[in-house]
Amino acid sequence: MKTGKQKVLDVLKNILLIIYAVFALFPLIWMILISFKSDTEVFTTTFVFNPTLANYQEVLLRSDYGRYILDSVIVSGGAVLVSIIVGVPAAYALARYNFPRKEDLAFQILSYKFAPEILVVLPLFMIYQKIGLYDSYVGLIWVYQLISLPLLIWVVRGYFEDISVEIEYAAQVDGYSWYQIFFKMLVPLIKPGLVSSALLAFIFAWNSFTFPLILSSNKVYPVTVAIMKYLGTDSAHYGQLAVASTVSALPAVIFALCIQKHLVRGLSFGAVKG
Amino acid sequence: MARIQLQNVKKAFGKVQALDGISLDVKDKEFFVLFGPAGAGKTTILNCIAGIAMPDEGVVKFDNDVMNLIDPAHRNVAMVFENYALYPQMSVYDNMASALRSKLYKTDEAEIKERIMWAAKTMKMENLLERLPSQLSNGQKQRVAMGRALVRTPNVFLMDEPLAHLDAKLRNAMRTELKEMQANLGSTCIYVTHDFMEAMALGDRIAIINEGKIVQIGTGDEIYYMPCNEFTAQLMGDPQINIVKAEISGTDKEYSITIKVNGEDVVMALPSDSGVYSKFSEINPDVVDLGIRPQNVKYSFEPKDGYFKATVYSYESIGNKSVIVAECGDYQLRMIAPNGLNVAIDSEVYIRFELDHAIFFDAEEKTYIVRYDEASFIALAAAKEEE
Repeated sequence: MKTGKQKVLDVLKNILLIIYAVFALFPLIWMILISFKSDTEVFTTTFVFNPTLANYQEVLLRSDYGRYILDSVIVSGGAVLVSIIVGVPAAYALARYNFPRKEDLAFQILSYKFAPEILVVLPLFMIYQKIGLYDSYVGLIWVYQLISLPLLIWVVRGYFEDISVEIEYAAQVDGYSWYQIFFKMLVPLIKPGLVSSALLAFIFAWNSFTFPLILSSNKVYPVTVAIMKYLGTDSAHYGQLAVASTVSALPAVIFALCIQKHLVRGLSFGAVKG
Repeated sequence: MARIQLQNVKKAFGKVQALDGISLDVKDKEFFVLFGPAGAGKTTILNCIAGIAMPDEGVVKFDNDVMNLIDPAHRNVAMVFENYALYPQMSVYDNMASALRSKLYKTDEAEIKERIMWAAKTMKMENLLERLPSQLSNGQKQRVAMGRALVRTPNVFLMDEPLAHLDAKLRNAMRTELKEMQANLGSTCIYVTHDFMEAMALGDRIAIINEGKIVQIGTGDEIYYMPCNEFTAQLMGDPQINIVKAEISGTDKEYSITIKVNGEDVVMALPSDSGVYSKFSEINPDVVDLGIRPQNVKYSFEPKDGYFKATVYSYESIGNKSVIVAECGDYQLRMIAPNGLNVAIDSEVYIRFELDHAIFFDAEEKTYIVRYDEASFIALAAAKEEE
């Protein structure tokens, strides 16, 4: 039986958590509210207003919004895919093999995340202009590796290091080739790390603003940059802006909800003593 | 089932020479034990045989075929790892089936099931088959690791301390089981242990490994009765053999030894033995190391003729018997005594060596010189060899 003191503590804890939840979610709620308001009501009402779908119609049906979303999906998805293909073997090598200056290399990969994007984007802009990657999918996917690859390599490397090397030996002795071992034994064990880091990398790439702003213009138009279109020079359509932001946040949310069960760590523990 | 040979295998990890010229010839269907202290290189030897580690130098042969360049998958060895190395994402059943489901050793599911059931029954773990490794205790994991090896029909079983984490009762049962199983399967088995009892009980032959080198190879009896140096003598036997510095005096008619006990000289006549006497007259040593096993040290709590005096340092039970440790100045003597004695620490104890069981070592080199009754032990070893 819980004592009275504990009960009070529980209630207090919950109240604090609720306050925090409201605090954290309030901008989102606010944005959704605005998305249902007409331009005139944006500044004059708070919670009581005449909801309208006009903003949604305007953004989703009468603009190129679908194309922007698609561009974002292609660029972010492509970036994560490339990161997985390149990053998982790199993480394996960094975890398993010893070679000169290994730690330096690993740290260098991580250091790509340290530099502010604005620092590298201007030289990149000139290089991209020269070699014809400016305003192309490949160019953005490539530059997004600065965001997604270090994250993925470092998380997955940790997972590989947690797997005892004897498990690989055992599988070799059991008659499996290296590729079979990799896909049958190792991939299931790194899956939680791979999925969570890929998801995070996807969200970071999706939210990236500086790179697409400067390295793309007309052909590739990710949604983060496209949202600015609704901020006209003379008037700001806050309602439409809110719709664009709300919809652009959806894929990441849906994605996260779908794979949240994989975000549980702990599979590789317990098989190896100590 | 194969004969396993290692010829002058060397392996270094960085600056550490893990294996320094290992040569072994494990016969087909032999139960071969690698025995030595921690860090001696036993596991590295297994890894070289399995193909997990590549020797820097030397040759690994299975049935006269050089295996150095064959990868582990194609060597058809079954290995039990010291840290179990179970696949965490698979159930116990799938773990055990893993080898039989690989492309190389493909077996049909019915047969797999039969073999796993048999192995699970021998290992007393039928109730564990559906569990994941994370739901097992260390002893259970170890049994699963054993089971995973036993379901196969490999060239050789490589077992790296497979019983180390089992409780005493199960370990004894498994030891018996294992020996019988190996005989029935008719398979070669190389077994790593640092438990002297296991080595003696299981091994057809034992190789003593120390610091990457083979110290001695022989049957358990051979190594126990004729250890090639003091290191082996101390390793084989529990409680440890007593080694005492002794001065030799006398002629080839009659030899006696003098040892120091708490600063006083104690002189003991050496019983006559043709082997010992002729060896001594041949090399004429001044000082030897006298090796005498605890069961050959007799004690009395009353002064007796031919006994010398020492003080009791400790008295502890080791199960069905006890060990008295006596303080003799700069060394201690261990001797076997029955349980339940009323022995006071620091009380006086009177000791006599049964010298007709003594083993003599070179005082400088620490190598074997001669022992009493040597001829009969050589004959015994030869008779075993013929079997």
